[in-house]
Amino acid sequence: MNERIIFYICCCIFLSACVQAPVFKEEGYALIRSNYPIVSLNGAEIEPAYDMDLEAGENTLVIVYNSYQYDYFCTFTWAAVSGAAYEVTDHEKSYPLTLYRWVRKNSLWAIRLDPLDPLQCTQKPR
Amino acid sequence: MSLQKSSTIKLPHFKSFLLLLFISTSAVKVQAETILPGLSVLSETDIRESAIAFVNMSTSPGLEGATLTVDNKERHSEQIRGSFGFSAEVTLKDHIFNGYWGLAVVGGSLDDELKLISDSGEQVNLDVSRNVLGLRGSLGLSFPVDQHFKLRPYLSLAVTDLKTETVIDGLTYTDPSGNTTTTPSFRTSAQLASAIGSLDALYSRWYGDNKLELTAQYNLIYTDAFSEDNPVLSTYDLNHTVQLRSRYTGPTALVSAGRPWRWQAYANYVNFISHDKASLGYQSLVDFGGGLEWEMNIKPLDWFGWQMLGIRAGLIYGDNVEGYKFGLTAR
Repeated sequence: MNERIIFYICCCIFLSACVQAPVFKEEGYALIRSNYPIVSLNGAEIEPAYDMDLEAGENTLVIVYNSYQYDYFCTFTWAAVSGAAYEVTDHEKSYPLTLYRWVRKNSLWAIRLDPLDPLQCTQKPR
Repeated sequence: MSLQKSSTIKLPHFKSFLLLLFISTSAVKVQAETILPGLSVLSETDIRESAIAFVNMSTSPGLEGATLTVDNKERHSEQIRGSFGFSAEVTLKDHIFNGYWGLAVVGGSLDDELKLISDSGEQVNLDVSRNVLGLRGSLGLSFPVDQHFKLRPYLSLAVTDLKTETVIDGLTYTDPSGNTTTTPSFRTSAQLASAIGSLDALYSRWYGDNKLELTAQYNLIYTDAFSEDNPVLSTYDLNHTVQLRSRYTGPTALVSAGRPWRWQAYANYVNFISHDKASLGYQSLVDFGGGLEWEMNIKPLDWFGWQMLGIRAGLIYGDNVEGYKFGLTAR
């Protein structure tokens, strides 16, 4: 019986730790996570990164979706809100990548809201 | 990312020892070995093939919940299959290919009534009830060729428990203890382990706000069966199936909790290539229908995306079989 209770407690602790609240750099910053490499920030090339802090306000990112035939350089421009988290993923929409506002709903799941298509995706042969 | 569909699983009761189903028209198939004295029309091979066919037609990847009916002069059967599970792609950073995984509880039931002719020329009614429940896990890779087309090879392992009850009405049978009856009944169980190699080719394209999705799937299935109470079912078999699926979706004016609903229409074809049509009464199926999906877009455990939750209904047709499907879908 005690073992079962301990097992349930461990499961609860594990599950409750699954969805963490985002940690922001400081006031006036947003956060972005991407499943694909971010290669440009506001017109400047950067070392490929999968997550970064963004200053609130309008930002322009270029994120690369790789396939075996082409690389798709997708440009997102949007007004990032201070204290908001964003996420870019492949959802097989009309463009290869989609940007969402990521909201922690509870410890078990998060929600992806306000889908945003890139302004454009430039296709380049590999 | 995708989530496989859910459906109801019927769980009747089961007994049995042998089984099998088989009869092709009213002709007698040449048998290898006879199981029951006086009923040489039923062979060990028939029993093995029908048991494995039922498991494969209930638990193979890509199959969706359905209720199927075979009804002709020699046979009447009702089959229900369903699954509840999830499959998704996982991004592998710094690689072009992605990972793919899936986990599902699968199940099905079959009530099969056959009219056979005994060796003495009398009609025998064979009533077989089967019930299968199993767990299937999949692991593989997804290779995006371009934005629209990807190839996905993966391996699935499934373990299933099969229970069968058979009643033979009209056959005089003497059991090992010397009791004679004209309605012998048998209960049997078997455990099956299947290794399934699958290859999916997936194509999708948007036309304005509408999306077309096409999928071709090939499964190579190796099944090993073990049974303590029916040695005939301690066997193995290699089979393959092909599925073609198409779906067309579009926007609606409906919005719930700030997220939109989409309509969908679908048409699918599945062929259990290597299974004898006599095993379950059919070999291929076509189904089509429609429904609605809600773009819920949540991320459970902050790990994988769950995009859509929907409801859909459809009709199924095939060689000597018809049926329907109705249930929740998630992907």
